[in-house]
Amino acid sequence: MEEAKRDEEESKQQQIWSWGAGTEGQLGTGKLEDEYLPQLLHLPFLLSAGSISTLACGGAHAIALTSVGKVFTWGRGTTGQLGHGEMLNSLHPKPVSSLQSYVITHVSAGWSHSGFVSDTGLLFTCGDGSFGQLGLGDYRSQSTPVKVDYFANNFVNQIACGMRHSLVLLKGNQVYGFGSGKRGQLGCRDKIKSVNLPQVTCGLEDVQIVSISANGDHSAAISADGHLYTWGRGFAGAADANLPQLSLSSLRCTNAALGWNHGLLLTGDEEVLMLGGNYHGGLCDLEKTSAVKHRSADSSRATLNEVIGLDGVKVVKIAAGAEHSALVTVDGAIKTWGWGEHGQLGLGNTIDQTIPQTVSLSPDIQNKEASLTVYCGSGFTFAIRSLSVNPDNIARN
Amino acid sequence: MSYDDVEIEDMEWNEELQAFTYPCPCGDFFQITKDDLQLGEEIARCPSCSLYITVVYNQEDFLRDKDKSKKKDLEPAKQMPISVA
Repeated sequence: MEEAKRDEEESKQQQIWSWGAGTEGQLGTGKLEDEYLPQLLHLPFLLSAGSISTLACGGAHAIALTSVGKVFTWGRGTTGQLGHGEMLNSLHPKPVSSLQSYVITHVSAGWSHSGFVSDTGLLFTCGDGSFGQLGLGDYRSQSTPVKVDYFANNFVNQIACGMRHSLVLLKGNQVYGFGSGKRGQLGCRDKIKSVNLPQVTCGLEDVQIVSISANGDHSAAISADGHLYTWGRGFAGAADANLPQLSLSSLRCTNAALGWNHGLLLTGDEEVLMLGGNYHGGLCDLEKTSAVKHRSADSSRATLNEVIGLDGVKVVKIAAGAEHSALVTVDGAIKTWGWGEHGQLGLGNTIDQTIPQTVSLSPDIQNKEASLTVYCGSGFTFAIRSLSVNPDNIARN
Repeated sequence: MSYDDVEIEDMEWNEELQAFTYPCPCGDFFQITKDDLQLGEEIARCPSCSLYITVVYNQEDFLRDKDKSKKKDLEPAKQMPISVA
């Protein structure tokens, strides 16, 4: 009885909104429509399994990881990326039942595949395997998460799924890549077209890596001392990099988010910088973006731009879709910019924005204790507002 | 403006759509049919949005395919005299 009451209270502590491209059911609204404004979701089924600790959004599907290590997926499932044992879309969040007996601690959603890591260091993948991106030693697709046996004797900490490749971070620091390597995104000395078993990413052997990210044909890793490494497709027309490249060593990064032609960095000073920033406006009016300030003197490396229009406002969270970006400011505002054709900016229209714009979430609350998080899929966006009433919750987040 | 240049070998053949496809940043797929390629069309469009890509390919590869399939139809007729001889 008391349990049930607690659960009910917990469920009241979170509100979830989604907006943008929705024709595959990826918004969780129960409809197959684009939404131009944030839609408050009613997900009682999902919330009965604890609060959401993180979301991962892919090409047209989403994965929710709950505070008790359970996994729910929805959206496009035509290549098995939802892990429900069938190749079908799901309009509503459904539990990934084959993972019920595990406590999942990390999830990632790629263009059409998914990855799950358990608290015991096991890695599971499902979805499109036609480029070897499941790491299972073949090119087949899987509709139920399959344990990646290659890492049977290792402890996997993180998985990052891109368009056609995957990265894995092991406890004890090693980074691996598998899937398509055509743009150098696996970080191998010799360019590999595609590989279906994990390969060690070269050049990071002596670096303590704490997080990895992948999207499009890009790969990135952040080291314990805050250095950002990127490899794969070049940003803003720069040459592809087969091996991890260190971006401006004076930077201290705490987080990185990659799109298909741009990336965002959050620095220790709560400042946001863009990789390939000029091109992020590639779908917008190019002239408007030409005034950005460049941070890098070395043209062979990815240029870093300040995000114009933020006026020094501190930022606590960042997220990148294929061609749009979102952030949360220290005073609890969500801002979006970039490509807006599907309403993915949540501003009530389909207009592109080169300068971050404030998104209004309804119902609004005047609670300073609320914490906001934002997540981007290719053409859609999710926001979660958590009320930090329960001190346990603060610790977990 | 074309969103990207994509080589035909990086596109995937979709049996259901009878088209070569490539991921579009909106979540849908850019698509181009074999007929389009034989005609020398190099733009693959996304049915859900305004974006399109330029497909990099050799038109002759697809014209040859077409010739081959035509030849196939003629093959039995050609072989017959050989078997008689």
